[in-house]
Amino acid sequence: MRGAWAIATREMGSLLRLPVGWVVIALFAFLSAVLFVNGTLTPGQPATMRYFFASASWLMLGVAPAVSMRLLSEELRSGTIEPLRTAPISDAAVVWGKYLGGVLFLGLMLVPTLVLPIVLWGVSDPKPDPGPVIAGYLSLMLVGMLYLAVGLLASALTSSQTLAFLGALMFLVLMMVLTGTVSQAEATPQWMARALAALSVQARARDMAKGVIDTGAVAFFLAGSAWFVLLATAALQSRRWR
Amino acid sequence: MIIVREIAKSFGKVRAVRGVSLELAAGQIAGLLGPNGAGKTTTIRIITGYLPADRGDVSIAGYDTRREAMRARRLVGYLPESAPLYPEMTARAYLDHRGKLFSLERRRRTRAVEEVLERCRVGELASRRIGALSKGYRQRVGLAAALLHDPPVLILDEPTNGLDPNQIREARTLIRELAAERTMLLCSHILPEIERTCDRVIIMAGGRICADGTPESLTGAGGAPRRYAMEVRSNPSAGAGYTIGRLSGIAGVARIEATGEQPSDAAGGWTRLRVEGEPGAGDLREALAGAAADAGLFVRELRPERETLEEVFVRVVESGGGGNA
Repeated sequence: MRGAWAIATREMGSLLRLPVGWVVIALFAFLSAVLFVNGTLTPGQPATMRYFFASASWLMLGVAPAVSMRLLSEELRSGTIEPLRTAPISDAAVVWGKYLGGVLFLGLMLVPTLVLPIVLWGVSDPKPDPGPVIAGYLSLMLVGMLYLAVGLLASALTSSQTLAFLGALMFLVLMMVLTGTVSQAEATPQWMARALAALSVQARARDMAKGVIDTGAVAFFLAGSAWFVLLATAALQSRRWR
Repeated sequence: MIIVREIAKSFGKVRAVRGVSLELAAGQIAGLLGPNGAGKTTTIRIITGYLPADRGDVSIAGYDTRREAMRARRLVGYLPESAPLYPEMTARAYLDHRGKLFSLERRRRTRAVEEVLERCRVGELASRRIGALSKGYRQRVGLAAALLHDPPVLILDEPTNGLDPNQIREARTLIRELAAERTMLLCSHILPEIERTCDRVIIMAGGRICADGTPESLTGAGGAPRRYAMEVRSNPSAGAGYTIGRLSGIAGVARIEATGEQPSDAAGGWTRLRVEGEPGAGDLREALAGAAADAGLFVRELRPERETLEEVFVRVVESGGGGNA
């Protein structure tokens, strides 16, 4: 556990020492502000951030793979995986440490957006209900964690950051199309439509953005994240045999 | 300290390591030599636990590197080829991170970091980003990381890769210092470096160990010489062929030939010869001197020539590695 935490803090620190980390933070903050101004800060609208959280979860689609793409790919490319994997630390601890580092970074990335509910609080009357805002941030974090885990798996499969980014993005878009458009198509058999809808990230994120914290949805995100992290561990372990 | 038993490793159809066995006693410093693709790095990676062997076992101080991997890894300091490091970190931060991975408690970690920075002479650049350091300094940071947890076993893959001659000399001195208190396996292409640093040389080719011994035993410096340099004078009109003909036929002599470079007074009948003895023929100097005297040749030089490690390397590698020598 100490090893995983050491890797997590190093990863988080490295992301902050690299331009890519600050670019991601700045871009996410800027786009969040644009979404907030256009969708939420409209005169006559109810003081709710529902639109912002629903849209920001779409932003995560590009942002999370951008954060995760270097987690393992860069270690594989530069050869730093060798001293890492000959240290007294398991492959699982390496992968969980990397994941935790990415999650910490995502959390940090959300910090500048906290100014948005403060602004909404300041300019609206009646004041917004804090419950949905907290639930919205929780949903953003959970969506980001799931997407990050998918990106981590892609990163464990290739030493190219670009391929890791594109692989994760394509998988997430494909899942979104399948669980959204395809599940709602008339030609889709009922059983398949139900199965695909049950895997929908966006539907759960929308519900949580309304302020509904469903433990089933939380479990879905956490279990999904853990599943992809375990797959990433298996992918890393399989490299020893190649 | 290190016991390797019959390890083998294939990558697809390529058999990188084929039944390598070796034992390194505590305090021994061994050099692993071989041409590219000989299986050196794969062997080292198996010993450090980075790669699993398809078959065979490795143990470090009695700990099996597969079943007791974490215990075995704590005993090994490893510098991989080209010293891969995180360029965005400072040397000090990187070493601190490595200390955390080896579960060094904070106070001990801080002290260990400062000690290895000092020992590897990186102290003055410890706060600079690794990416901004020269290759030589990066190599030193890698070595410092390998030493950080004070391991009894050090495994260094091409430790002087990319260093300038001064840095190579410094690295060699440091390695010698470190070897005094550790078991060390050193992999290098640079033969003089191995010869000067190691008290045992292991030569690999084609995934096998082809030769294993002290530098002296491999180059023949310890036993009877195998090769001799000789300068003799005969009738100037007779030429080198006559001289060689008169000396041929001595029991134990495998070959006599005129060297490419002849003495400046060759016109006066002097010929420089290289004589190669048959294996196990013993010291041939007396026989050669006697035969020359009987043939009326005047000898002004007759000395044994030691085979260089480079020549041993070429001979062993070309002979193709037919198992442990």
